[in-house]
Amino acid sequence: MVLVVAVFDYFTGIEVSVTLLYLIPICWCAWFAGRGAGVFIAAVSAGAWLGAEWFERWSIIQPWVIFWNTLMMGSIFVVVAILLATLKATQANLEATVARRTTKLVAEVTVRRRTEGKLRLANTELQRMQMQLIEAAKMEAVGRMAAGVAHEVKNPLMTLGMGVDYILQHPISDADDASLLHDMKHAVLRGTKIINLMLDFSKPRPLQPAPEDLNSIVENALGLVRHQLLKHRIEVVRQLQAGLPMLSLDHTHMEHVLVNLFTNAAHAMSDGGTLTVRSSLQAATDASIALDPQVILEVEDTGPGIPQEQLPNIFEPFYTTKPPGQGTGLGLAIVHRIIQIHGGSITLGNRPEGGARATLTFNLQPKPHP
Amino acid sequence: MTKHKILIIDDDASITRGVRRNLEATGAYDVRQENHARVAVQTAREFMPDLILLDVMMPEMDGGAVAARLREDPLVRDIPIIFLTAIVSNEETHGSEAYIGDEEFLAKPVDLNILIRVIEGHLEG
Repeated sequence: MVLVVAVFDYFTGIEVSVTLLYLIPICWCAWFAGRGAGVFIAAVSAGAWLGAEWFERWSIIQPWVIFWNTLMMGSIFVVVAILLATLKATQANLEATVARRTTKLVAEVTVRRRTEGKLRLANTELQRMQMQLIEAAKMEAVGRMAAGVAHEVKNPLMTLGMGVDYILQHPISDADDASLLHDMKHAVLRGTKIINLMLDFSKPRPLQPAPEDLNSIVENALGLVRHQLLKHRIEVVRQLQAGLPMLSLDHTHMEHVLVNLFTNAAHAMSDGGTLTVRSSLQAATDASIALDPQVILEVEDTGPGIPQEQLPNIFEPFYTTKPPGQGTGLGLAIVHRIIQIHGGSITLGNRPEGGARATLTFNLQPKPHP
Repeated sequence: MTKHKILIIDDDASITRGVRRNLEATGAYDVRQENHARVAVQTAREFMPDLILLDVMMPEMDGGAVAARLREDPLVRDIPIIFLTAIVSNEETHGSEAYIGDEEFLAKPVDLNILIRVIEGHLEG
């Protein structure tokens, strides 16, 4: 390239200066090949420039002037080459510094995100433990109350039951009298059921966990409520993911939970509807850190849904949305308690398209509840 | 036909009366009721029942203490005892009878049919 410029310089004559064109190869080399190469090309260019000047002007200028000009021009070429190479080196250093700091920053952000994730988990765990403590205190109070109430109420219930049984052993001619006695017997049984539910709620039977297939517990529970679903003309849609990992569950407790949820769904769809049961294995929701996947079970109905104002209290003991005399207010409280002692969670909400949805979440490594 | 003798010990007279009347109405049992735990052992010695129904929570002395005294007495130590308790739930008794240790329990309020079935089970066994 230097040669081309020199030839061009020679043929354009002294009237046209193309000296600046020598800077192109000098700059290119200094920028891309470094200081040494730049200085070398600057020296070569100075030599080429000398050749062109010599052949053009040897007859009109003293030789020492040509050499002096060459020295000056060469110095300029070298200075330009050094400046440009230094600029390039500085830029490269700057880029390296930026890259190094960016890497460090990314590492810091990653560490911070991981720490934030851990903090978030710790916070969730703290909230869970706080809820457990509140729950435990509440349970202790309910348990004490239940035991006291049980003793005070079960004895009178036994007196009533024995009395009704005794009278029923004798012939009763009046149909109304017979109905009245049967109503009394029914009332005793209902009172007994509520008292027993209270006792079960306050101190549920200890878990007997074993590796269980959630889908088969679903099938068992659906079998238990089959007549109820048929009676209300409810279609069952199963969307059960095959090959779910085994979960550590108490079969009887879980069956109780599902029968309760299915029965509630059936009551919500007394004029018919669709009960959808869906199981799946899903990644945990916190994307910032690696968590074990969870097994999700959803129970959906096409009933009227749950009024928004009732949702916050839906798992409270003795809270019922059913007409007086039809619900104990303990069904969902017991369901909630059972899921809790399995280390899982349950939420109840409404589907956007109408109807209610219960979502049960189970960790593959359950956290035991006290 | 010889009637089986049943002693029911409970501080609540309405319960002992109800159980007594129902069991007597079957024609198969001779029932005595005792509402004072402190004299229960003496009543048992006098009556010599084939089976004792014993309430757990009583103000004078709890059912466990009464059972211990009964079992210390050579005359009545072999009489089977079924405890009646209000502090257990359906879950614990599976709706009918249950054992806690070696003791048999029935959850109050006891269904008459279950009570008769359990008593028959003991007497026939």
